Amino acid sequence: MRRAVTLLSTLVVGTTLLAAPAAFAPARAQNPITQDGQNPMGAKPTADSVNEEFLFKNADKITGRVSIPDKKSANLIQPQGREYQSFRERYLPWIGAAFILGMIAALGAFFLWRGRILTDDTQESGRKILRFNAFERFTHWMTAVCFIILSLSGLNYIFGKRLLMPLIGPEAFGALAQWAKYSHVYLAWPFMFGVAMMFVVWIKDNIPNRIDWAWIKAGGGFIGKKHPHAARFNAGQKGVFWMVAGFGAAMGVTGLMMLFPFALLDINGMQVMQVIHALIGITFIAGILAHIYIGTLGMKGAYDAMGSGKVDLAWARAHHDLWVEKEQAKTASGPQLGGRHPAPAE
Amino acid sequence: MARMKFLCDADRCIECNACVTACKNEHEVPWGINRRRVVTLNDGKPGERSVSMACMHCTDAPCASVCPVNCFYTTADAVVLHSKDICIGCGYCFYACPFGAPQYPRVGNFGSRGKMDKCTYCSGGPEPDLSVAEYEKYGSNRLAEGKLPLCAEMCSTKALLAGDGEMIAEIYKQRVIKRGYGSGAWGWKTAYRETVAI
Amino acid sequence: MKAFIVAVVAAIGLAVAAMYALTSNQRFAYQAFATTGARVSEPGTNLVGEKWTGDPNTNDKSESAHGKATGEPSHPKRS
Repeated sequence: MRRAVTLLSTLVVGTTLLAAPAAFAPARAQNPITQDGQNPMGAKPTADSVNEEFLFKNADKITGRVSIPDKKSANLIQPQGREYQSFRERYLPWIGAAFILGMIAALGAFFLWRGRILTDDTQESGRKILRFNAFERFTHWMTAVCFIILSLSGLNYIFGKRLLMPLIGPEAFGALAQWAKYSHVYLAWPFMFGVAMMFVVWIKDNIPNRIDWAWIKAGGGFIGKKHPHAARFNAGQKGVFWMVAGFGAAMGVTGLMMLFPFALLDINGMQVMQVIHALIGITFIAGILAHIYIGTLGMKGAYDAMGSGKVDLAWARAHHDLWVEKEQAKTASGPQLGGRHPAPAE
Repeated sequence: MARMKFLCDADRCIECNACVTACKNEHEVPWGINRRRVVTLNDGKPGERSVSMACMHCTDAPCASVCPVNCFYTTADAVVLHSKDICIGCGYCFYACPFGAPQYPRVGNFGSRGKMDKCTYCSGGPEPDLSVAEYEKYGSNRLAEGKLPLCAEMCSTKALLAGDGEMIAEIYKQRVIKRGYGSGAWGWKTAYRETVAI
Repeated sequence: MKAFIVAVVAAIGLAVAAMYALTSNQRFAYQAFATTGARVSEPGTNLVGEKWTGDPNTNDKSESAHGKATGEPSHPKRS
């Protein structure tokens, strides 16, 4: 019995197999694609398959699926790297050189034209008034030291291989650049902290007001002999304050975005961040060069404010008359030494 | 000298990942670092294609050009290699690479990610050919032994082609003519600023 | 001057603190990309490591054949 069933089913299957080609024959005759060398499924792989051109029309990069755990590697092609390359290598060095050398040249020309800005002697000369207390000087110098190292190591990213590498050789330069990178990444933190502290400490004296407008219209004392009125900070110093606050924040944010890849942005985002970071950094360095010039070489007596914290009363009267009046009004007893402020550092 | 290139025939690639495994084993690449990977596009949809991708050894390579310490160099075979002694791990090549080739031993911030690692086209690094130092830093140097990259050599469907650019472009062209279709040389336009004319 | 020196010291101190903070939350690729099925204990840090001799016969496989990476294994060994 069982054998008979097996035999029967074999027969049925056999007949079906034999009959099948005949049954499909009309279909085959109608479909010319099943000729030799053609796809038996009748599909057109060319028309169906994805291709680069089509995918780039839909999105600016090609992304798929990967079986490895690193899902960021699913990006197949992101051609924006070419644009980033062309900015960084073709334009950035020239922009950087133009800004920084341009600022140095401008300061040099200004020095030749105007010379050192001096203060006329008055009967108050020789007496001192405390301008920045120890904490203010501390925050300033912490930020300043970080800024100088950050700017040098930052410029090293752009100009190091062009200027320094041919001089000292690739191995020495590699070691130097490694340390420069470490200092750039790690000193960024005290810098950001310092900018935040300076912002808090000095914001109350840096709100722009009408006196600033008059100061700008009068040429800020750069042109001519007469010094316009100014409170604790004049419009130029307020400009430096807001530049440091704004650029410092921008540098911090863009830097953090690059330091922590994929935290918020993808590769394209990081390219944009690098462009912004570089451009603002260059402008920042040029701006701070002017700040350094006017605080040291450009103006007699200005460095004392951040050096010892105490400035000559005649200088203070000439440059920050409203501030001197306010300080003196607080105690009504002439120059402030000790007294209200905590003892200065030296 | 030859101008070495990779070409992945996506119409042949079956996403077996043998190229990935071959690369890992040949160079003792640690876990988590992928010099080569297979990306599947349109996964599960009609017209799905897989592309095996590694460093394409670009013409005028973005990584080499943006590197702040010039640690990259191009060999006589037009292979883009780098020196791990000079690399500072800043990540600029990683921002610039159109193919996601640069890899790092650590995955967090760029402060201490370590030296960059990428496909060497199986041709080591700046150290003397086939030396221990070269193997330790970059893996084996098959090109110095007269062999082509292992990923392409052992591709089961011969989808991944490695060799002189003109030669592999010709092989691909013949295939396309014979079978009547081809989805193109993936990444060639970005990497070499040219594509295989069919 | 005192304020300046204190500032330099503070900057270096904060930078060192930042270095420790940033380095300590760094993860190796083999830890980050290991799946539950993988048991990665001592992969080389960067390719095969320091002790590789180049000769497969004399290559000491018993210990330190591969450069040992510091850090925690990705997954504890399953019992």
